[in-house]
Amino acid sequence: MSFEEISHTADVRIQAQAPTRNELFSDAFTALMQVMYGPDRKGGQHREIALSAEDDEALLRDFLSEVLFISEVDGLVFVQATVMIDGHTLVAHLDGEPFDRNRHSFGTEVKGISYSGLAITRDANGYMLDIVFDV
Amino acid sequence: MIDGVKRIGLYEWEVPVGFIPHMRVPGRFFLSESLGRILEPGAVQQLANVATLPGIIRHSLAMPDIHWGYGFPIGGVAAFSLAEGVISPGGVGFDINCGVRLFTTPLAEKDIAGRRDLVDELYNAVPTGVGAKSPVKVSSGSLDSMMMNGARWAVKAGYGLPGDLERCEDKGCMKQADSSHVSAKAKQRGVPQGGTLGSGNHFLEMQVVREIYDPEAAQAFGLASGQVCCMIHCGSRGLGHQVCTDHLKTLELATKKYHITLPDRQLACAPILSPEGKAYFGAMAAAANYAWANRQMITHAARTVLAKKFGIDYDGMPLVYDVAHNVAKREEHQYEGKREDVCVHRKGATRAFGPGASDIPADLARIGQPVIIPGSMGTSSYVLKGTRTAMEKTFGSTCHGAGRIMSRSQAKKQLSGKEIAAGLLRMGIIVRAPNENAIADEAPEVYKSSDEVVNVVHEVGISRLVARLSPIGVIKG
Repeated sequence: MSFEEISHTADVRIQAQAPTRNELFSDAFTALMQVMYGPDRKGGQHREIALSAEDDEALLRDFLSEVLFISEVDGLVFVQATVMIDGHTLVAHLDGEPFDRNRHSFGTEVKGISYSGLAITRDANGYMLDIVFDV
Repeated sequence: MIDGVKRIGLYEWEVPVGFIPHMRVPGRFFLSESLGRILEPGAVQQLANVATLPGIIRHSLAMPDIHWGYGFPIGGVAAFSLAEGVISPGGVGFDINCGVRLFTTPLAEKDIAGRRDLVDELYNAVPTGVGAKSPVKVSSGSLDSMMMNGARWAVKAGYGLPGDLERCEDKGCMKQADSSHVSAKAKQRGVPQGGTLGSGNHFLEMQVVREIYDPEAAQAFGLASGQVCCMIHCGSRGLGHQVCTDHLKTLELATKKYHITLPDRQLACAPILSPEGKAYFGAMAAAANYAWANRQMITHAARTVLAKKFGIDYDGMPLVYDVAHNVAKREEHQYEGKREDVCVHRKGATRAFGPGASDIPADLARIGQPVIIPGSMGTSSYVLKGTRTAMEKTFGSTCHGAGRIMSRSQAKKQLSGKEIAAGLLRMGIIVRAPNENAIADEAPEVYKSSDEVVNVVHEVGISRLVARLSPIGVIKG
């Protein structure tokens, strides 16, 4: 896992790098959960996401938007995602626990994921991500 | 100032056609020299990008709280002709009808100063922060009525006074709402969140009127020096966020379908009168109505606490006004010598209709619309009035707040929530939040001075100062 929060005036900007797209998406997911709920997250309850999109950016945006939706309506805080991408199709297995106000109230609500500041690039070492969460 | 931007007045700047390719109109923004020193080049680029959109009228505008957003800059205003123009979620934002309202009380500062018990009771009565759920069970039928009727639904359900509706922009209900374009997912998110504050910069504050600049307008608005008021800042919660997420996707496809060339993918849009454009507008209006109902429910919770605690009449806490600052509206404006029905986008900007304009309460027709500009928890909030100058220059719009200058990550590193809360307490301000991070995130230091932002809009004349309020009790989401 490797991501860091970069200074951004209005919102939350994250940079990540990973050897594969699967790991990059998983890092972006972890960053999202960390921003929203803080570091104390456990597993035990499972959800699955499957979707397709026209390119990597759209795929990531749709994936994280779906995570926001499930997390909110099911009241779940996730610790980990196993992501498998094949072409422009993604399947992700999420592992989490019910929201606990005492342990998960240390973050900021993320309102949405847009293309604003979203870039996925690739070089010899793997993939790099720049993303902004609208908070 | 940024290269290529021309000064055209003491506080007015122009981004000429040609600043970037394909601009259809010039950009205009309002800024003092000192605010100009912290202007981000990216925000000016976004202002210019908006000027390339089809059907844009007169100028791509930005208020003095301009900063970098997605699609439009925050503080951005743009009007589009119905025949040729487009509608874009990038001109509204995720938090549809994020807005502010203010109600007065018969209390004075001495009645509530230092009363942590009041702040605690308000905190317990209004669900706040990440993961907060409403104590109110909203059925799916009620949810639909919330989306179609807005604050009207809330008042009918017992969450307010009939007079409240007269004091809301659009009477708390956009009649173009069409809940059939709100997805099942958005509705699912809306059910448990009615009457919740949310997090980030949203707040409920007990404030005191510190200064009156315009006695006639203040009296008409019901404001008096030394009076205790309550200000509520929040929006359409997960329902609005989901409407934005869903329609961004359909409008990306529509951008291609209608062969609209964009300088930035974030400006996904569709012709206003296309099926996709109408669907977004109907869903956005439904989310806007949900936000009005939400603010009305929070108002009810706060009034109930105050009435019980101080033995004052629930009816003795009238609403001054409620404004939306993230919204697209169909409005009539004077353009090229005639009245035209246009679509105005306000993204972090407040409507500021002047005297005689439509949709102003009858008793304020001579004065102009009340405009509410929230500060941060240690700094002043302002009430202003709309002007005829705003109708001429900015399609009846003004600023919406202070605007951040420090990132959240920097704030968390540099500032301690505990120390900030202690410092505010020394100033007589009691703060309650779900955690210390939320206090550091929103500390007074992270915002531009709201004083300077409102001074610019006052000097330019796109709204005029009426009163200044400062907080003494703060609930952060």
